[in-house]
Amino acid sequence: MTPSQRVLTGAWRLRGLLVRSTLAVIAASLLAALVAVAYTAYATSQRAHLASQTRLTELLDTMESTLAVACFVKDQTLARELAQGLLSNSDVLAVSISTEAELLTEKRRGRSTGAPSGPPLKRLIYSPFDKQMLVGQIVLTPDPQVINARIREEVWLAALQLSWQLGMVTFAVVLMMLLFIVRPIQAMSDRLHRMDPTAGDRLAIPGRHGNTEIGQLVVDINALSDRLTGALATERQLYLQGEIDEKKFHTIFDNAESGLFLMDNQGGLSSWNPAFARLFGIGQQSPAGMPALNIKHLPWHAPGQMGELLQSALRRNNAVTQDLQVLMPGSGCSWINMVLRSVGDNLLQGVMHDVSHLKESEASARQLAVTDPLTGLANRQGLQDRLHAHVQDYVASKKGGFALLLLNLDEFRRVNEGMGLPAGDAILQATTRRLSACVNSEDTLARLSADNFGIILNEITQGEAVDRIVGRIVQAIRQPYFVDGSPISLHASIGVALFPGDGFDVPSLLRQAELAMDSAKSAGGDSHVFFNPLLTEAAEQRRHMERDLRSAIRNQEFVLFYQPVIDLAAQRLCGAEALIRWRHPTRGLVMPDSFIPLAEKTGLVVEMGLLMLDVACQQLVSWQNQGLDYTLSLNVSGRQIPDGLPPAKLQEVVRHYGISPSKLALEITEGVMLHDIEKSLAWLNEVHALGFQVYLDDFGTGYSSLSYLKLFPVDTLKVDKSFVRDMQDGSNEYTLVSAIIAMGRSLGLDIVAEGVESQSHLTALERMGCHYAQGYYFSRPVPAEEFDAVVTRVTALLAAPKG
Amino acid sequence: MHTWRFILFLTLCGLGAGGCAEPVVVVNASSAITRLGQEDVVNIFLGRYRRLSTGDTAVPIDQPESAALRAEFYRKLVNKEPNEVSAYWSRLLFSGRASPPLQAVTVNDVAVLLASQPVGIAYMERSQVDKRFRIVMEFPR
Repeated sequence: MTPSQRVLTGAWRLRGLLVRSTLAVIAASLLAALVAVAYTAYATSQRAHLASQTRLTELLDTMESTLAVACFVKDQTLARELAQGLLSNSDVLAVSISTEAELLTEKRRGRSTGAPSGPPLKRLIYSPFDKQMLVGQIVLTPDPQVINARIREEVWLAALQLSWQLGMVTFAVVLMMLLFIVRPIQAMSDRLHRMDPTAGDRLAIPGRHGNTEIGQLVVDINALSDRLTGALATERQLYLQGEIDEKKFHTIFDNAESGLFLMDNQGGLSSWNPAFARLFGIGQQSPAGMPALNIKHLPWHAPGQMGELLQSALRRNNAVTQDLQVLMPGSGCSWINMVLRSVGDNLLQGVMHDVSHLKESEASARQLAVTDPLTGLANRQGLQDRLHAHVQDYVASKKGGFALLLLNLDEFRRVNEGMGLPAGDAILQATTRRLSACVNSEDTLARLSADNFGIILNEITQGEAVDRIVGRIVQAIRQPYFVDGSPISLHASIGVALFPGDGFDVPSLLRQAELAMDSAKSAGGDSHVFFNPLLTEAAEQRRHMERDLRSAIRNQEFVLFYQPVIDLAAQRLCGAEALIRWRHPTRGLVMPDSFIPLAEKTGLVVEMGLLMLDVACQQLVSWQNQGLDYTLSLNVSGRQIPDGLPPAKLQEVVRHYGISPSKLALEITEGVMLHDIEKSLAWLNEVHALGFQVYLDDFGTGYSSLSYLKLFPVDTLKVDKSFVRDMQDGSNEYTLVSAIIAMGRSLGLDIVAEGVESQSHLTALERMGCHYAQGYYFSRPVPAEEFDAVVTRVTALLAAPKG
Repeated sequence: MHTWRFILFLTLCGLGAGGCAEPVVVVNASSAITRLGQEDVVNIFLGRYRRLSTGDTAVPIDQPESAALRAEFYRKLVNKEPNEVSAYWSRLLFSGRASPPLQAVTVNDVAVLLASQPVGIAYMERSQVDKRFRIVMEFPR
């Protein structure tokens, strides 16, 4: 069978495109022909009748005048002739002419027998002379046979023509279908049968179909082939990649350090990797014939946990994780971190790795967090943890109170600063040993900060028992420490709070012990103080006071009072000491003893000092303007040295007010010098170099070290009023004051005697060669506005004859 | 004044004796017919019938072919020109059933013929009518 034969047979397939479309075209043509013929028949019949009518009417028109004449004169002969003439027309079947009264003639074609097809044509005849006058009528009967024959002929002709046309159209359509659609499709089908798209075969566009739908279809099929072959290639690539990936994953699975496994929802392990096998010391596969290895049967420290984790992983969509302890026979205990995730289909995947090292690190970090590295004792956090534990134990069992001791080494800071940190550390370590020896092994020892220790004495709630132990501790601390071979004496201030007697929660216990310790320290150290509510009250008062101090600074409630200083040689008032006072809005005038210690502790004294410096300078300016050459001395607190009152600031202020620095004296105490000796000395030197005078206040009450006097650039000594007040002939004080004055003079220092309350004091001091005097004998400290009055009175007093 | 008008009228009629003829239909004075409608005159002169509904017979006498009065008469009677009247008669002559009126040779013959025909009916100038004849129909002026 050649391809063309195939095409033809294929083309005329029973249900093929060609047969179907041919049949459709024929059916449509026949239908159209039927409709057309029927219409033609109808239209032709109408037309034929109309034509016949028209012809007969025209015929009558031509004969009308003659007919009128015939009727007018009732001429039968003429009428007969006329009827004969009309019958000669083939359309006419019968003619009848009549007047109103009589029938003139009636003629009928003999051969015709058919019934008349249409209505007879009737016309009225009027007189030829009067168009109103009816004279007769003529009736023409058309011949149906003639008309019908004509109709048949026309219909036949129309049918013939239509058949011919439709036949031609059908032929053309079938031919076109065959040539332009069926054959190209058949050819494409053949080609598609043989085509191998993966080998690059593609359909050729049939001839002359470059721009037709067939051509477009071929292009589309080729494009589809391209896409399919492309997709196949991608698929193959992916498959190869998948194989490679699977090998890779297998390698990862086998070589992973973490244990990887799959199991069912009952814990039955289906596969695991070598790391997993190593972790549990099992084989690579379940032994043949044995039931599947179950994860719950591995040597867990708490087998129940594994079951719970499994259930939790099944319940939740995301991964669950937990650290589990494993007890391997032979290798001891290890920690494993397990991550389980449900992967659907009742399967779970798990990852586990050994976190024993991590656990150890965690434990040691936890330990570190509560341990002081220097002494190995618990740190503040550790102490608090223990306190919490104790409190909770007590809450649970209602027994087991304890005593909390806070211990601070007096003077430790000085050792640390003076001898260096290693020495301090050595002392702390030694202290730790001594404390350990004083307490039971169940008690807790902690170092909270530098030289602060905390001690929890278990089961001790009675003051006597605490006293006993504290006594031992104090004794132990008092033993000299040997640093680099030299002995160092230290003392301890200890605060005690009792649980549950004093406080019931850890922060307040700590606070109470701290208050008690502060109290012990304030009392001079080397002692212990039990907490009592008064301490809290005192602390509360301090807090209030501090608040008041701050507002006092804001509201400028601090003022300076001035106590005159008398030049004994010149017998005149030569200056004053400025003394701070607090004009409290409710308490009235407050003396410095009540607020200066707190101001020093809180550092507010710095701010106050600067304010007072301004006031003092203003006073000096005022005197200067009055032509008075007075010197004013101002007290300087240890907290102001060296940074609270920088020499540069001092200089700036006096320069601002235009005062000579020599008119402003700064009174310091020996204690100031003991604080930070090097910095204090530097400050003093600088201030002195700027021209300010330096007074050493309260001389005789402290160390009164002569070496300091030589070391420090001091201009004037102020003998403490306690000596002067009690000075009587032959008394110790008398001797002391006399000695101080003699010593000061020998060192080239000026001496001011404070606390001069009587003429006898004055006389004695003059005898001793004291330079200046100050005291109630002359005047108590007065506000600036009263100072002029004081000057007058003192001048009068000095001028009065000595009695 | 009226007299003058009448004279003028007569003068005009006399002047137009040739062109302004006034035909009147007359019968022999012995005839029974006294009065005829114009329709009867048409039927009689154009051959429809010769017997009147009264039973009297009327034989029409026509003016000569060329007489101006004849043309005037047919114009007034059926509004037809002499040639149309001739065409009419030519159609009827074919069958022979109806015959045209008897035609006088001269105008004067009409009066002679009518005087001799007791059933005759003719038309003539009004001026020609004398006591031998009776006017049976006049055309409205």
